[in-house]
Amino acid sequence: MAFSALTEKYSGKMGTLTIGSGDQTVTVGGQAAMPFATFDGELPNKPLIAMEVYDVVDPEWPAAVVDPFKDVINDPIAWAKKNVADYGAKAICLQLASTDPNGENKDAAYAADLVGKMLEAIDVPLIVWGSGNVEKDAEVLAKVCEVNEGKNLLVGPAVEENYKKIAAACLGYGHAVVSQSPIDVNMAKQMNILISNLGLPMEKIIMEPSTGALGYGVEYSYSVMERISLAALAQNDDKMQAPIINDLGKECWKAREVKLTEEEEPAFGPDMEKRGVLWEATTGIDMLLSGSNLLIMRNPKAVKLVEECIDELMA
Amino acid sequence: MPKPIHQVTFQPDDLTFDVFRDGENLLRVAIAASVHINASCGGNGACGKCRVIIDQGHPEVEHSAKISDEDWKKGYRLACTTKVTDDLTITIPQESRIDNSVLRKDSGQKSHTLMARDLNSLVQGVKINPAVFKYYIELPPPTLDDNLSDLGRLMRELKNEHQLDNISADYFLLRRLPRMLREADWKITATIVYNPKGLKLIDIEAGDTRAANYSIIIDIGTTTVQGQLLNLNASHQAEERSVIDDLESDLLIATDAKYNSQVRFGEDVITRIVHSQKGDGLKELHDSIIKDLNEIIDNLVKAGGIQKDQISHMVVAANTTMSQFFLNLDPKYIREDPYVPTANFFPPVRAMDLGLNLPDYIHIYTFPAVSSYVGGDIVAGVLGSGIFQREDLTLFMDVGTNGELVLGNCDWLVCTSCSAGPAFEGGGLKYGMRATTGAIEQIRINPETYEPMLLTIGKKKPLGICGSGIIEAIAEMLIVGIIEPNGKFKRDLNTERIRKGDTGWEYLLADAEQSADGIDEITITEGDIDNIIRTKGAIYAGCRILLESVGLSFEDLDKFIIAGGFGKYINLERAVTIGLLPEIDHKKFMFVGNGALLGDRLVSVSREMLGEARNIAGMMTNIELANNMKFMDEYVAAQFLPHTETTAFPKTMAMLK
Repeated sequence: MAFSALTEKYSGKMGTLTIGSGDQTVTVGGQAAMPFATFDGELPNKPLIAMEVYDVVDPEWPAAVVDPFKDVINDPIAWAKKNVADYGAKAICLQLASTDPNGENKDAAYAADLVGKMLEAIDVPLIVWGSGNVEKDAEVLAKVCEVNEGKNLLVGPAVEENYKKIAAACLGYGHAVVSQSPIDVNMAKQMNILISNLGLPMEKIIMEPSTGALGYGVEYSYSVMERISLAALAQNDDKMQAPIINDLGKECWKAREVKLTEEEEPAFGPDMEKRGVLWEATTGIDMLLSGSNLLIMRNPKAVKLVEECIDELMA
Repeated sequence: MPKPIHQVTFQPDDLTFDVFRDGENLLRVAIAASVHINASCGGNGACGKCRVIIDQGHPEVEHSAKISDEDWKKGYRLACTTKVTDDLTITIPQESRIDNSVLRKDSGQKSHTLMARDLNSLVQGVKINPAVFKYYIELPPPTLDDNLSDLGRLMRELKNEHQLDNISADYFLLRRLPRMLREADWKITATIVYNPKGLKLIDIEAGDTRAANYSIIIDIGTTTVQGQLLNLNASHQAEERSVIDDLESDLLIATDAKYNSQVRFGEDVITRIVHSQKGDGLKELHDSIIKDLNEIIDNLVKAGGIQKDQISHMVVAANTTMSQFFLNLDPKYIREDPYVPTANFFPPVRAMDLGLNLPDYIHIYTFPAVSSYVGGDIVAGVLGSGIFQREDLTLFMDVGTNGELVLGNCDWLVCTSCSAGPAFEGGGLKYGMRATTGAIEQIRINPETYEPMLLTIGKKKPLGICGSGIIEAIAEMLIVGIIEPNGKFKRDLNTERIRKGDTGWEYLLADAEQSADGIDEITITEGDIDNIIRTKGAIYAGCRILLESVGLSFEDLDKFIIAGGFGKYINLERAVTIGLLPEIDHKKFMFVGNGALLGDRLVSVSREMLGEARNIAGMMTNIELANNMKFMDEYVAAQFLPHTETTAFPKTMAMLK
C-alpha cells in the first residue's frame, strides 16, 4: 500500500492584507496552515520583510546598524532609497521617532509631509510607525492618513488608548492599521473587535501582539502568536484572522548582548556585527515560525539571512 | 408560567404589556416594557415628571400636589404613585416623553426580571421540627417520699410527659435551677436543643412561654453582614405548609444588614488574615465582627418587639475565614500552603462566650465548611437551594465578595470559589451602596437623548447605586452606545451627562437636585465599569472552568440558581448583556437573594437539615482556581462586554448591532 502522509486540515484561514497603491502593492497572509507547513495547506503569500528607516537616530545605536547607512543616516528619504536600491527592500517602514514629545517633538504636519515625499521617492509599499507616545501618535498618524489619502499606507501602532482616532483616519482616507496589544491572545482579539466595530474591515487590520527580542521575552510573543494562529485556523475565529506583524528591529538592537563590547564581556568575542545580525535574524525567524506575516527589520545582512531562510522553507 | 392578572396598554405607541402582580407600580411596568417615561427622582413622586393620562381603567393612585386639580380631572396621574389594579390604557403625554422616540429598538421583547423571593419548589419535604424546642411542664413538688433531685425531677417529667430521654443539662442552668423551680411554683417551660450528639437542656423559664420562641440567623459576608429574626412557632403552626414560601410573613419577623466593619482592616480576607497576625490583630477582627452582630441583634430584637430571653438559638453561615474570626480562631494557616482551616465542622458554641449580648443559654450553630476557600455560607446556599435533592444538573452561583460556585445534583457536587470583589454589593464603586432604601436598582437610558430613567428601592430619592442597578446601567450604556465593549466611554456624544470628572470619564445619573439630600451627585465612572468587568469576568470564567472540569458546558445545565446581594431584582437580559450570565434559556434561571440565609432558615426550623448540611459539606469536591492555568485565559477572555468570544452571545451581539 502506498504511503500517504498525514496532514492537518483546518476549518479556518488567515485573512490577507494588501498594502501599497497602484502597481506597487504587496499582499501578506491568507495562509491555510501553520507556518511553512506547505504540506498541510495553502500558503499563498510569502512573509514580507520591511526595512526600517528612522527620521532621527538614537546616538546609542551600535555600529552594526549605523555603518550600512552611514552616508544616508540623516536623510530618511535617501536611506529608504538606499534600502530599496542597494539592499533589495520589498517594503519600507518609516519610524517617526522625531515626533516623540520627549525628544524633538516634531509636529504632525512635518510627519505628513515627510511621508508624502517618501511615497514619491520609493516604489515599494510604505509602513508608517509612530513614536509610541499614545496621544501624539493619534494626532500624527491621523494627519499622515489625511494628507496622504488613498495611498493605502499601513499605519500604527494603534493601541486601546488611541485606536479610535487612528483607525477612523484609516477608514476615512483609505489606509490599513496596525492593531497592537500587550502580549495576550484575548487582548489582541479585543482590539480587533473594537477596531472593526468602527467600521474598518478585518482585511485592513494587521495585529502586532507586542514583540519581545531574543532573550527579552521572545518566548511570550511566540506562544501568543502560535495561539492566535491556531484560533484563526483551527477554531475559525474570524476576529483572530488578521495577519501578524512584528516590530522587531528596535527591540533587537537595544538588547544588552548586542551592545556589549569584547572588553565588557570577553566571552561574547570581538565580532559585534555578527552577534547583532544573528540576534536580529534569530528573533525574526522565531516570529516567522510562530505565524508572523510581516517583519520590520533593520540590518541588511539580517534581512538577507531571514529572506534566504524563508525561500528555503517555502521551496 | 404565571398567568398575567392585568394588562397595561401604552399610547400613543399601542404597546400592551402583561402585569403579573396586583398593585404593581406603573413606572415599574413601564421600565419592564422599555417604555420611556421621564423619571429622575427614583420614583418617590418628588420630581412630578412622570405624568401620564389614564384613558381606561381605575388604578389605585395617591393624589399628588404636583398635579393641578384641573389636570387631575383630565386623568393626569404620576406613574410612580400609581398601582395597577385592573386593565389600563394610558397615554404618555408629550411632556413626559424623554423625546419622540419613546420606544426602544428592543421594546416589544419580553423582559425577564427575576424577583428575589423564596421558592417553595427549591427544597422538598422539609419536616418542621426545629432543633430548638420548648416544653411546658408542671412538676410535682418534692416530698419526703419523692425526694428526687431537682434536675432528676425535671428529667423524669420530660421523659414521662414528652418521651425525651438522655438529655444532658447545661452547667449554667444548674446554678439557677433550684431557686427558679420554686419561684415558678414548679410550673416551667424547658428549652431543649437537638444536636447530632443528643439532646441538651439549655434553659428553663417560669410559667408557659411556649408562645415566644425565636431564632436569630446570620450571614457573615466579607463585605456585608445580614441577619434575620425568625418566629419558630410560626413553623409549628403550619406543619403541613411549605416552609419557605407560605410562611414567609409569619416566620420572618425582621431583617437587618450592615457592611462588615472589618473592612477597615482590609477589603479582602487575605489582608485581614495578615492583619490578624500583628499584635492584637485577631482580637480586633473578632471584636469588630462581634460588635457588628450585637448591633444587628439589637436592631432585630427592637424591630421584632421581643425580649432577648425569648430567643432560643442562633444560626450562623459564613465563609471559612469569617467563621474563624467569628469564633475567635486563628486563621493563619488558611492562607499558608497547604491552606488548612482549623476545623470544617464546628462544635456548638455558647453565644456569651464569643461576647455576644445574648442570654447565657443561647448556643450557636455554625455551618460546616468544605475547605479554606469554600465556606459554610456556600454549604448553606446549597442546602437552601435544594440542589442536593434533585437529579437536575444545577449550577448555583452566589455572588458576594467571592464568587462561590457549586455544580451538581443529588449524586455529586463540585465547587469552586473565584475572587470577584465586592462590586456587586456596591463595594469599590464611587457611588456604590448596599441594596437598601434609596439605592438605584432599575435604569433605562434613552437611546436618542441619553437621559436616564431611574427607579430606587423604596422609591426614595437616589442615594447611590446597588448591584442590580449597576448591572442595568452598564448594560444600558452598552446598548445605547454610550460605552464601547471595553467599557470606555464614547466621548463625542451629544450629551452633557458624559464628562470628565475628577476620577476620569463618567456618566451622570443624577445631579444634586435629583439625588437625596446630602448627595452632590451620582455618577458611574470608567473605574466603576472596569471594576464590574473584572468582577463579572472572574465569575463567568469560574463557571466555565467548573463546568469544563467535569466535561460539561452551559448548554448541559437544567437549572441556574443565582444568589447574592445584588438587590431585589435581577434583570436577566441585562445580566447576560454584560456577560455575567451565559446566554441560555431564561426559564432555567432562578434568583434566590441571600442563599446563606435560606440555608440558615431551614436549619432553624428543621433539625433534619442539620444532618443534610453535614452531608453536603462532606460530599462537595473543591476545584482550586488559583493554580489553574486555564482560568487566567478564561478570565482575560471575559474582560470585555459581553465577552471576546462573541459566538457565545449571539442574541446579545445581534441586539448590539
